[in-house]
Amino acid sequence: MSHSPFNLRLPLCQLAAGATGRICEINGDEGFAQRLREMGFGEAALVTKISGRTTSLCHVNGTRIALNHDAAKSVLVELLPPGAH
Amino acid sequence: MVGNPNSGKTTLFNALTGLRQKVGNYPGVTVEKKIGETFSQHGRPIKIIDLPGAYSLAARSPDEAVLRDVLLGRRADTPQPDRIICVVDASNLERNLYLVHQILDLGRPVIVVLNMMDVAAAAGHRIEPTKLEEALGVTVIPCEAVHGKGILELRLAMSRADLPLARHRWDIPAPIAAAVADLQASLTQNDRRLPLVARAEALLLLTDFDTVRVAGSTPLCDRTRETLAHWQQRWEGEGTDWSAMLIRSRYDAINHLCTGVLRRTREQGPSLSDRIDALLVHSLWGWLFFGAIMAVLFFSIFTLAEYPMNWIDAHVAALGGWVKGAMPAGDLRDLLTDGVIAGVGGIVVFLPQILILFFFVGLLESTGYMARAAFLMDRPMSKVGLHGKSFIPLLGSYACAIPGIMATRTIENAKDRLVTILVAPLMSCSARLPVYLLMIATLLPNTAVPTTTKAGIMLLMYALGTFGAFGFAWLFKHTLFKSAPSLMIMELPPYQRPHLREIFRQMIERAWLFLKNAGTIILGISIVLWFLTAYPKHPDPAATPDAQIAYSFAGRAGHALEPVIKPLGFDWRIGIGLVTSFAAREVFVSSTAVVFNVQKFEGGKRANVTPVRTALRAATWPDGAPLFTPLVCFTLMVYYVFAMQCMSTIAVVKRETNSWRWPLFQTAYMTGTAWILCFILYQTGRAFGF
Repeated sequence: MSHSPFNLRLPLCQLAAGATGRICEINGDEGFAQRLREMGFGEAALVTKISGRTTSLCHVNGTRIALNHDAAKSVLVELLPPGAH
Repeated sequence: MVGNPNSGKTTLFNALTGLRQKVGNYPGVTVEKKIGETFSQHGRPIKIIDLPGAYSLAARSPDEAVLRDVLLGRRADTPQPDRIICVVDASNLERNLYLVHQILDLGRPVIVVLNMMDVAAAAGHRIEPTKLEEALGVTVIPCEAVHGKGILELRLAMSRADLPLARHRWDIPAPIAAAVADLQASLTQNDRRLPLVARAEALLLLTDFDTVRVAGSTPLCDRTRETLAHWQQRWEGEGTDWSAMLIRSRYDAINHLCTGVLRRTREQGPSLSDRIDALLVHSLWGWLFFGAIMAVLFFSIFTLAEYPMNWIDAHVAALGGWVKGAMPAGDLRDLLTDGVIAGVGGIVVFLPQILILFFFVGLLESTGYMARAAFLMDRPMSKVGLHGKSFIPLLGSYACAIPGIMATRTIENAKDRLVTILVAPLMSCSARLPVYLLMIATLLPNTAVPTTTKAGIMLLMYALGTFGAFGFAWLFKHTLFKSAPSLMIMELPPYQRPHLREIFRQMIERAWLFLKNAGTIILGISIVLWFLTAYPKHPDPAATPDAQIAYSFAGRAGHALEPVIKPLGFDWRIGIGLVTSFAAREVFVSSTAVVFNVQKFEGGKRANVTPVRTALRAATWPDGAPLFTPLVCFTLMVYYVFAMQCMSTIAVVKRETNSWRWPLFQTAYMTGTAWILCFILYQTGRAFGF
């Protein structure tokens, strides 16, 4: 395990455009968390932010998924160094 | 036929059945099952059911519930299908296999169709269909439905009498296995399910948090529900996240399956769609682009349509003139010229503009921009308590509120869905277009007025409806339907070159529907209305047409209504238009054509059938003051922005909400708002001397 500053955990809504993170926790409504996981947006998946501050557009497993602000707030990601994708 | 949203099910369905169901590049085009027929290679008929797309059998919205209930044989109106065709988007294999994995649990014969093999290849995915076939034990067919590749092979597979059953084995995680066995036993004994279906349903019950029940679903017996509650309580006590555990084990099985099947030949970097999206959903460039599209749309409605409209106008007038010359004077001739030709001709003239609107809507749907517009709109929508997904039905309602209201079935939250249904008819639909255009033509008769002014007024009306919809959504979300802000997750499809053939096909379909309406409802109303304006005959045979219409049935009814609408600046003749256009808004145009055409104008000589706008400009109050002042034209447009004037919408809302309460409430609040706003507008306008 590396101990770089990239191990920082932050909500998906705060991930900068172009940055990649690894999903580590999904909180909030269980029905919603289940759907996220069913869509391949579960723990350990790599997510790259394409755009958005309030509404987030993310790239996960070759698909583009849009999440509104409340949804993106409930997903915690671990920031990965550039190029890790 | 099942699969993830936007995996090409309907394209495949159309290719197999020869039907022409609507396809589009956004999730949720199909929200209800569609049934078609095809033939096996031996000529035996096969019935195919095209089901709405879903990510999982654990339904979260009404459209997904249709898929789950048909597959589980819960729908009273549809027998459980004998075979299941799983359509898989090959460019996103793992995610698509999740649903396939759930379906294989049902133990039914399955054919897996690997659609969009070309897209997968372009993205650098090498897929081995034979290896997938070996691993799953079911028939796997690579396919490119858009190009017609693989259809023959699929038809051959469908013709096989002995489709192999899935061989795949999947071990349910140990902590959950006992619960699944318990539930399976209860479902088999108490709910009379077949053992395999019972196992699949047991797995589903564990992941179905807020079961969306649709009409026709049978509820489970108490014993099964108690068993479920017992296990859930136990796991909650132990802190076991059974749903996440189930999903993870399925994905582990899928990943294991894919190791030999899928090889990525290059690193997955941002695709072209991602790069376009970085611009088109940008908080500044995205909005500028959205605004530019809308501006081009309104501008072309005015400029491009002018030539065909003049052509139709001239021919309608020529036809009227010809009938007048060829037939002896009398009621029959008047019926044809004043009723049929004026009424139907008055409305058909707007066909070019409606087609332009549908062309643009088709472009938005076909390229994949629809979902981007929903993304952009998420922020303003969140201010009123809804999220971006609600914008797709609203955007669709610009064309027609009926498919718009149907599209709300993709919305998960029941309250959000109802609010969206209630405000969707406020978006200006294509039936309002003729009314706006007629009023703008009456308002600005001068051809020297630049097109931008006309387009600007039109844009204002559309904006008024849109802001109205947002305003009422806010009001409803903060009063009648208070709920926590809902979470949105929406997949944005890759951009596509627009399928012009499909767009033109949809345009022709709409044109046909419009002409059919003109030839049936509008023709009927025009004839009835002509009769009501022509009878009873005035006792004095030399009475002016003015006196005749005032004396007629329609005139009397209009006069009875006048006190209610006079404060808005409308006379009894406009009142006739308002009442008849309850059938459909565009009827207003044909009705005014009939009502105002039976009158004398143009220097005392009974004129030929003229364009309605000319007739309207000549109309006056009894004291000689012009009826259609700019203020009245404007007020009338505002009335049509807000008033609920469409019986078909009322019927659809009744069906979708399963009660008369909401359509009646909707009619009352919309028409009430229209009256109040028009009253304020007209009276204020008058006070300022307009």
